[in-house]
Amino acid sequence: MSTKEIIRAFVSEELLHDHNQNKLQDEDQLIENGIIDSLGIMTLLVFLEEKFSIQVSGDDLVPENFSSITAISSLTERYLKK
Amino acid sequence: MTITNITFSSEQEQLRNAVMNFARNELNPGIAERDRAGSFPRDLWEKCAKQRILALPFPEKFGGDGFDFLTTVSVFHALGYACKDSGLVHALASQVICGIQLLLFGDESQKASLLPDLCSGKLIYAQAITEPCSGSDAFAMQTNAIKQDEQYIVNGTKTMISNGPIADNVIVFAISDKSKKAFGGVSCFIISKEATGFSKGKPLEKMGLRTLQNGELFFNDCTIPCTSLLGRAGQGMMIFNESMEWERTLIPALLLGEQERVLDECVKYAKERSAFGQPIAKFQAVSHKIAAMKVNAELGRLALYNVAYLKNQRKHAALESSIAKLFISESLKQACMEAIQIHGGYGYMTEFEVERELRDSVVSTIYSGTSEMQANIIARLAGL
Repeated sequence: MSTKEIIRAFVSEELLHDHNQNKLQDEDQLIENGIIDSLGIMTLLVFLEEKFSIQVSGDDLVPENFSSITAISSLTERYLKK
Repeated sequence: MTITNITFSSEQEQLRNAVMNFARNELNPGIAERDRAGSFPRDLWEKCAKQRILALPFPEKFGGDGFDFLTTVSVFHALGYACKDSGLVHALASQVICGIQLLLFGDESQKASLLPDLCSGKLIYAQAITEPCSGSDAFAMQTNAIKQDEQYIVNGTKTMISNGPIADNVIVFAISDKSKKAFGGVSCFIISKEATGFSKGKPLEKMGLRTLQNGELFFNDCTIPCTSLLGRAGQGMMIFNESMEWERTLIPALLLGEQERVLDECVKYAKERSAFGQPIAKFQAVSHKIAAMKVNAELGRLALYNVAYLKNQRKHAALESSIAKLFISESLKQACMEAIQIHGGYGYMTEFEVERELRDSVVSTIYSGTSEMQANIIARLAGL
């Protein structure tokens, strides 16, 4: 599975209320649509740490980096290249 | 399993012993009078600063002593155990938590200019989130910060702010973009007591933690430069989330220390006090209460050092920090209630001090997220 697929699967399973992965598009606005909220972001950050061994911190902890599956994947890829 | 060994290193033991001796000799005398008066001991604050308690986790280049967070937690745990002035130790913890926010989210200029005076205790810091109409629902806050050219204009009221009445600088959370939700709509600002339009109320009278000063902060067209922004615009909720994890690790360290002190006081009293021809410790009605306290203290210790270990590695630990906060604060309050019962009528008298421990403990299940909010977080992070 690609990074994007792994993240999409996690968000669908853990944060999307009806767990329907097919419904979730890469550009869907996760924050605006209430899929990721203040507790959801905590869940996601722990997942990224455990799954990809990355620790997102500081200036990268901004809403833009978590706004969509694409944004989260880009952030993750950037950390993986560090 | 994330932690298997919570044995302190020799350096940590030395630091802990030093701070316990310091607390017993320098901080405990006069606590009954200070508690009664509800006065903040500025002189003791300065002694704590000289003892380098406020500098522990900060890099040396910013005036700190460069210890890791696990060591900082172990020292605050020892301080909570030895220092009977719980208000003072909470004031110290609030300062360190503000410093961690500056360290994690401040720019180099902010860190270089602000952290040295925070570490030395010269300037007192407060963190302002709670408002008259928003407590647990923190992001229902009304305080707003509107950007105009190179300034922000802040309006609103904060309340019950720890260190608020005596703070030189306050880290203030405010809505900076009403069109966005809490996520992206809230920003964080460092506001000096000298800022135009900023005023403070008198300390609020409280049941416990009476030497800790809590009060209202008023922002009336308070004008601050854009350089006051901590982190980036819209990053407030992220900073809040991060801050809560550190806070829900450092504060439980104090609470666990207090719980262990109450336990020791109960063991001592139960051995000394006799009834029906033998020490009351011989009665299971008493010994089982103390056994339950001991079990909770040991489990609390595991919960505390588990989260401290994770935070020491800069990992996220929302679940673990909520578990530690919930369990240790509830255990402390329960232990204090039992301590009063074990001490009988004397427990109700101020002379025996456990009544102050109880008063100090009551708020621990309310601040930094109520027990009900911790349970909500734990349930959600458990997948519900």
